[in-house]
Amino acid sequence: MPKLMKPEWARFIMIPALCMLFCVALRGQDGSTAQGPDSGATQGQTQGQDLATTQGPDEHIKAIPILTGATAYYTKVTAGQVQDQPWFIPVLLVPIGDKWLVEARADDYPTFERGANGRFQEVSNEYGLQYATVDYIANKYVTVVAGRFLTPFGMYNERLQPYWIRALQGIPLTYGVTSNTGLGGMLRGGFPAGTQSVNLNYAFYFSADNTNHILGTTRATGGRVGFFLPKYRLEIGGSFQQLLEGDHSHNVGLHTEWQPNAQPFTLRSEFAHSSGIRGSAYWVESVYRLSQVPHLHQLELVGRGQQVFADPKLSAAQRSQVGKLGLDTNQGDFGLNYYLGRDVRGSASYGRQFAFNKDANLWILGITYRFIMPLGPTGGVH
Amino acid sequence: MRKKVLISAVLLILAVGAALVAAAKTGDKDKDAPATVSPATNSAQDDPMRLEGEKRFHSNCGRCHMAPPKFSPRMMATIIRHMRVRATITDQDTRFILHYMTQ
Repeated sequence: MPKLMKPEWARFIMIPALCMLFCVALRGQDGSTAQGPDSGATQGQTQGQDLATTQGPDEHIKAIPILTGATAYYTKVTAGQVQDQPWFIPVLLVPIGDKWLVEARADDYPTFERGANGRFQEVSNEYGLQYATVDYIANKYVTVVAGRFLTPFGMYNERLQPYWIRALQGIPLTYGVTSNTGLGGMLRGGFPAGTQSVNLNYAFYFSADNTNHILGTTRATGGRVGFFLPKYRLEIGGSFQQLLEGDHSHNVGLHTEWQPNAQPFTLRSEFAHSSGIRGSAYWVESVYRLSQVPHLHQLELVGRGQQVFADPKLSAAQRSQVGKLGLDTNQGDFGLNYYLGRDVRGSASYGRQFAFNKDANLWILGITYRFIMPLGPTGGVH
Repeated sequence: MRKKVLISAVLLILAVGAALVAAAKTGDKDKDAPATVSPATNSAQDDPMRLEGEKRFHSNCGRCHMAPPKFSPRMMATIIRHMRVRATITDQDTRFILHYMTQ
């Protein structure tokens, strides 16, 4: 995602604004909770009877705009280099009528490092617009999406990337194989594939070239298809992307995710291969929640292994261009997540990266707070 | 410069502290009434649509995140529409999940 250095004054506005948003979000949560589960239950029962008569939920409940997202503070130690990063990631959701949704997510994070004088100082302050789309739910099979969107390649970019969702705070090395955003149109949806045992989900898109310094994207087309077996909680899918400019490379990917019904365990994996200069990479991640252990039920154990197979014909300039994908790399990570309530999560992880002449220890410690607040009256079923 | 960074850091710490306190309070409440269990009556617990909604919630939403706190139906309607698009949840699943989440 393209990033822009912010003007000098902006960094002093972001954090106080973040604090104010915390307060408003807390009030918003209290307000929504204060309505009481009992009233919600009564409404829900009535609505459930209505739903059974095949009417859609939006025809009974008037959706309201919401501001949600997360703030986070992370300390990262990469090969001895300490960085502090406060993050602010707002998500705006504006439903219009029964079929439309305008949604946008941005991020903003300054980075502080210890300078030569021994003091921490800000070395960058960056922001970006991750996505901003207008969605139209045409029918139960198709949703039309237009705008700046996250590339539907594999499952990490669209589903697992948000700070408050990802199990390990370090992003997988496959993340750089494809362009992660597009500007254009997309058709997507999910529906039972002829049987209730298998759900088919898909996304096909076209992205235009955009050289804007904030919203830069690549001319490309591609898509993703997945098969989800609800009974076994297993998904298997594949993705492709064809660049229509530059080296016209194509990328293919596979992803899978499995959550056994009997255990609080998740196993997921992703593979990506590029015909261009970005080589191939895969990762395998497992997450185990100690939900059956007294006093530790809020704790989650995470492990991830990944490998990068760089293109052996890369020149020095190309290696620099593709960054971490320029060297054969093996990496293992282990992490802990501890949930304080439902919206606050503390995370810690250690990783060891093995790359030619660049072995490194990777430490990450931080906290994430997810907020959500209504931007309209919350009460009543219409 | 250093002073401004310090002020920003203090403000952030205060904000995180407030969030932790709020989350702890929410967590206490949730111990007795987790989102996966309806606080409603037995008739609601026997509601087949709610039970089916719970099952579909765990199959779909539980793949990526924990159960969120209870929100008003109007907020849930927005959230479920967002997740329908983002996670390509089927139309039928969204109806069951919305019903479950508004119990």
